[in-house]
Amino acid sequence: MSFELACCLLATLAALFYIFFPGTFSVGRVKTRASYLRERKDVVYENLRDLNFEFKAGKMPESDYQSLKSSLQDEAATLLAEIARLETKADGPRKARS
Amino acid sequence: MAQIGSFALLLALALSIYSFGVGLLALFFPGDPLWERLGETARRAGVVVFGGVFLAAVALVVAAFRNDFTIAYIFHHSNRDLPGRYKFATLWSGQEGSLLFWSLLLAGYGFVLRLRYKTDPRLFAYASVVLAGVQIFFLSLVNFAANPFGLLEGPLRADGSGLNPLLQYPEMVIHPPMLYLGYVGFTVPFAFALGALIMKYPGEKWIHITRRWTMVTWGFLTCGIFLGAHWAYAVLGWGGYWGWDPVENASLMPWLVGTAFLHSVMMQEKRGMLKVWNMWLVFFTFWLAIWGTFLTRSGMIASVHAFAQSAIGTWFAWFLGISFAAFLFFFIKNKDHLKSEHKLESLISRESSFLFNNLLFVLLCFTVAWGTWFPKISELVQGNKVTVGAPFYNRVAIPVALLLLILTAVGPLLAWRKTSFESLRRNFAWPTLGAAAVMAFLMITPPSWGGPFGLRPWQDISYFYSLMAIGLCVLVTLTIASEFYRGGKVISGHTGQGMFASLVQLTHRNTRRYGGYLVHFGVVVVIIGLAGAAFNQDKESEKGMDYGDKMTIGSYTLVCRSYTQDDGPNMASEWAVIDVYQGDKKIDTMNPVREFYKASQQASTKPDIRSSLKEDLYLVYEGQNEKGLPIIRAHLNPLVMWIWLGVIIILGGTALALIPNAPAPVRIAVPARRMEQAVPAVTGD
Repeated sequence: MSFELACCLLATLAALFYIFFPGTFSVGRVKTRASYLRERKDVVYENLRDLNFEFKAGKMPESDYQSLKSSLQDEAATLLAEIARLETKADGPRKARS
Repeated sequence: MAQIGSFALLLALALSIYSFGVGLLALFFPGDPLWERLGETARRAGVVVFGGVFLAAVALVVAAFRNDFTIAYIFHHSNRDLPGRYKFATLWSGQEGSLLFWSLLLAGYGFVLRLRYKTDPRLFAYASVVLAGVQIFFLSLVNFAANPFGLLEGPLRADGSGLNPLLQYPEMVIHPPMLYLGYVGFTVPFAFALGALIMKYPGEKWIHITRRWTMVTWGFLTCGIFLGAHWAYAVLGWGGYWGWDPVENASLMPWLVGTAFLHSVMMQEKRGMLKVWNMWLVFFTFWLAIWGTFLTRSGMIASVHAFAQSAIGTWFAWFLGISFAAFLFFFIKNKDHLKSEHKLESLISRESSFLFNNLLFVLLCFTVAWGTWFPKISELVQGNKVTVGAPFYNRVAIPVALLLLILTAVGPLLAWRKTSFESLRRNFAWPTLGAAAVMAFLMITPPSWGGPFGLRPWQDISYFYSLMAIGLCVLVTLTIASEFYRGGKVISGHTGQGMFASLVQLTHRNTRRYGGYLVHFGVVVVIIGLAGAAFNQDKESEKGMDYGDKMTIGSYTLVCRSYTQDDGPNMASEWAVIDVYQGDKKIDTMNPVREFYKASQQASTKPDIRSSLKEDLYLVYEGQNEKGLPIIRAHLNPLVMWIWLGVIIILGGTALALIPNAPAPVRIAVPARRMEQAVPAVTGD
């Protein structure tokens, strides 16, 4: 058997072994609406932090800051309310079963 | 080596097909344990593809070092006396090799992507399948249309034809890999975007996941483009760095759209806006990268780079068509998923500045694309080829670049959603006054001061552009400085630290934003360097320079001390020894050279460049006149070094933006009363 052929054979066997004997594997969780909303909540909170910092840095007057902060807080509150509703709904059947 | 290489490429292709086919089927049957397990084998097959392509690349490099001229590619692109680093560069110096290199980098990106799948397995599975689809195309190319391991027909040759002389320059060892890392890397954001579109991925997390990929890729492409510009400057000997050549344009187009994407993606992350626009931007960035490769490889467009003319253009055309059709299909099918969560509230807001910025980048890209393809279109329609030169591009590019500079200055100071007049006054008063003062100073100073002084914008449009460019560069620099200063002051006030420590902390708290500012500052420095071209000078010693002959350019006097020749195994060379004086003081000795490469029987000119922050003295050995005297051409190019410095700053800013932020020190909470008032906006799970 030539050196080249031996290399090719060895590479094929190693590849097949790695591919078809995977051992344990994880498919991951399916993304729920609650997890999606939590991501959005993080973004809105980050926006709020940025806004606070820019206000402290003197980039905007008080009136602009209050108006922008208020709209971001409304957005966050809406998200939190929906997250709370979804979590209550998910906890309900669990409690009922136990 | 040829056998191992060919086998490895076939194996990689087979595994890509498996990874694509089985991975796709696994996505059709979510939740089925058998298909879930098969999906895992598809992912692993994708991982192994990298091993296969890597083996093939190693085989090709080893063949180059072993002077295996039985392989046609090695025969055509290497020779026995080629220095080791260029033998290594053989991998990407010809068509077949560079396509193999494309495949290798794509497999490399795929390798990392598939190993990091636990971040979000289902999204990664979709991205992996899309990536495998692209891999199938490139691996099919290198297996069937442009195989780098094809054997040479006829009797065995003792030596190869050698590498193109223009490519025998140290930068050519790193320029193509950088450019290709950029081109290829845009496949990853595209794979995630298409995957997210197909699976109707909820939210913008996929953008967070791909942000680093996009920035790294963009950084590589930026580096590659400027290395190419530097190579053109240091090797081609025409004294410039950018000639609007189709191949240069090919790399610029995905860069322009990619830059637009990097800006507008923030709108999607922060405000859930521009989802459709971003999807198209990410697609076109990928598509233009492939298109650029098609342009360079098909030989359809005449270019000084003229890498290749072959039938693989048809393959690329099909791939471009199929990928466009596939994207369009999924876009039409799932476009409802891409509805914006917010609307543009005001024309004076951060959002609108991003929007205008995007439109300008796309306009610039369209202009470049039009100029690149117009000669071909006119040939097809009218039968005669029309050349599109630099004036066409400059007419659009310069005003657009100035508008982009305005947005670079204005954008960061505008608030999200809307900005009041009071905010504008607070943020822009001092930077605008500073810029206006500099512009006024440049206008009233006498031209005899030299350089950019005495710019009278009413005399010439180029003066107007130069004045605007400098003024806007000052404006951008001042706005960036004010951003750092204000932020640093807040932190300093809270922590009692000194300004420098506060600035470090500030940057670490939001690396992305302040890294971005650094990138903007780098752009300013680059633009200053580009503006220097308005004051270029050049001279040529038409009669040749004998011993002791003098030539004057700017403040320099050039004295020819001698001219000589040398003969080596790879090349013969002839050069002049030129002493450089400023006043009576000798400051340097320069050696412009002309080389003749034996294997390829081609000549190349290598200028000698004396660089300083103020200007470059650029000497070219043009050849000999009929008396055997060297003809020397001298260029004086002001501020060129600023371009290369600016690029280093841009890359530094990009690297900074990739560092994770320090944890936020302030906890944010929403007042309870708002929680009580809030009504769930959306119902249904």
